[in-house]
Amino acid sequence: MALLRMEDVTIKFGGLTAVNQVNFDIEKGDLFGLIGPNGAGKTTCFNMITGVYTPTSGKVIFEGNDISGTPPNKIAQVGICRTFQNIRLFGALSALENVMVGAYLRHQTSLFSGFMLSPRAIRETAELRKKSMELLSVVNLADEASSRSSDMSYGKQRRLEIARAMATDPKLILLDEPAAGMNPQEKDELRAVVHRIRDEFEKTVLLIEHDMKFVMNLCEKIVVLDHGEEIAAGGPDEIRSNPKVIEAYLGEPV
Amino acid sequence: MSLGKILGKRALSILAAVGVCVLAQMVLTQSVDGFLLRLFFLGGLYVTLAVSLNLINGITGQFSIGHAGFYMVGAYAAGLSSNYFFPRQSLDMPAYLLVSVLIGSVAAAIAGLIVGLPSLRLKGDYLAVVTLGFGEIIRIITLNQEAWGGSYGYNLNHKHQSLALVFLLAIVCIAVCRNLLKSAHGLAFLAVREDEVAAQAMGINLTKTKVVAFVVGATFAGAAGALFAHDSGFINPDLFKMELSFLILTMVVLGGTGSITGSVLAAATLFLIPELLRIAKFEVSQGVLLGVLVAVGVMVYTIRLVERTFHGEKTQKSLLLLGAVVMPYVVMFGVGKLLETYTILGDKFYKANDLRWVILAIVLLVVMLIRPSGLFGHHEFSWDWLRSKMNRRAVEA
Ligand SMILES: Nc1ncnc2c1ncn2[C@@H]1O[C@H](COP(=O)(O)OP(=O)(O)O)[C@@H](O)[C@H]1O
Ligand SMILES: [Mg+2]
Repeated sequence: MALLRMEDVTIKFGGLTAVNQVNFDIEKGDLFGLIGPNGAGKTTCFNMITGVYTPTSGKVIFEGNDISGTPPNKIAQVGICRTFQNIRLFGALSALENVMVGAYLRHQTSLFSGFMLSPRAIRETAELRKKSMELLSVVNLADEASSRSSDMSYGKQRRLEIARAMATDPKLILLDEPAAGMNPQEKDELRAVVHRIRDEFEKTVLLIEHDMKFVMNLCEKIVVLDHGEEIAAGGPDEIRSNPKVIEAYLGEPV
Repeated sequence: MSLGKILGKRALSILAAVGVCVLAQMVLTQSVDGFLLRLFFLGGLYVTLAVSLNLINGITGQFSIGHAGFYMVGAYAAGLSSNYFFPRQSLDMPAYLLVSVLIGSVAAAIAGLIVGLPSLRLKGDYLAVVTLGFGEIIRIITLNQEAWGGSYGYNLNHKHQSLALVFLLAIVCIAVCRNLLKSAHGLAFLAVREDEVAAQAMGINLTKTKVVAFVVGATFAGAAGALFAHDSGFINPDLFKMELSFLILTMVVLGGTGSITGSVLAAATLFLIPELLRIAKFEVSQGVLLGVLVAVGVMVYTIRLVERTFHGEKTQKSLLLLGAVVMPYVVMFGVGKLLETYTILGDKFYKANDLRWVILAIVLLVVMLIRPSGLFGHHEFSWDWLRSKMNRRAVEA
């Protein structure tokens, strides 16, 4: 059984069909790429998977259950978490606190014991802090733990978003253009982080990326969208030589 | 963990808090006059009101400007139930006070739930309008209830000013909010304030978080209302006007949204402005008032100019800033006095009491222009913070 299955997923905004009859399967342990030109409908796919939008027709199936239209917080609960293309950190909070918000999803103590600051709530908070510190070092941000997240550089903010999503302990992690705005060195670093997430933390990764070279070097399976249509699917080599893909990217070097 | 166990662990600090409050009441009632006592009493109430609104506005980021409504619900629920359940005059035991505080806070909590629910769909200005409307609706309904005294107000059978309870309420309110921020649970509230979409994507239940903030905030305001009602033994709808909501909001914004310390300090000082002006005897002429207003403008701009362009020695900069504050007043006061003599503007005089809102507005304006994030920003007082400040000073010296 596929971990995530997109089944004829379609969404229309008024007259615009942003995503049309998209089908793909993501298996557990995949490093899966979703690519396509700007406005192809990639982020919209993420929004449907994470419950921000409900598909007009078709189903999003996670671990055999239809999750289309489930509210975003429930989606995080069942084990899908994401980063945002237009970075959405909790600006006034420190890097560590941002990650702790993610880790908070798996908390055990009641809100009441938080208001009372019960010993268990204190212990739990310390545990979440420790877990979050570890995740910060996974994305090489341990030194920035107490920096205000809105003051951090663009590349660091992107990595912080990954750590925050990881903290929710997802089975499937969705990365929306994680390399956008990064320099080549940062991109190499990011590639190592993504590999580590998959290999060491055993997460399944679905990532959107505009930088073709980055995706080709990183992902094992790729789906290409163009104007909401799925125009190709397969391994990097198949995709690279696919005439439809070359046409969609208007001769950009692939 | 059961409530009993938690309370057991906290027994010492709870006992200490109760002890301090009772002691404070004993000392104060012995040593100061009625007017000052009332100031202490009101100070405690305003601290509670500001800190509880800070939970909704500052910590959870829900722009609520109808806090006086919850305060009023608490006051009326307590007053009505107190007369209903304890009709006999002159009870010695203030047990009835505890009962009515409980009833007042439960009633306000229900009101908080009712107002909190629409907040799930509304943001920013829209929510502000709803909460403002709520405060006004509650007031107008009460105005038209004959049984509640309508616009004449409502007399309570019992009158009891419990300083100890007011202090205790303020302490509990501060402690609850501070506890929340010290535990990971507080992060959920802050996350909702910072970015709702991201918070929800991290699994935070927006509905639950916002409603809890509203209910807890309203509960404390309701308890404060109950104590307020029993203080004077008389309540009327005019005591809970929109201006009161604005005053509480001003305290939160001025203190720095989200900072408990800021709310406490702003509440403890700001409530004094209207209270002291109420009894102040001075009068201000139109000329001087105009002069002062112009001086405020000049002062703010000079301060900003100095801050922006002058990076010299520290003492020099301080002197310049002092000049920026004092000079405009001296000049404008002189101009104002002249205008007073040569009555170009007419010779209208304002009583101190009429200037309450003018002065409050000026304070707010000045602080917002000079420190847009409030006095404390998002920061809190803590012993560590104080220690690090002291150390830095020691190192510099
Ligand atoms: N909420 C919305 N309402 C209307 N149109 C939308 C909405 N969200 C996305 N779209 C449209 O859907 C198309 C795909 O957008 P998107 O998924 O963001 O593209 P990308 O592949 O670059 O991430 C775009 O034409 C966009 O304008
Ligand atoms: Mg996109």
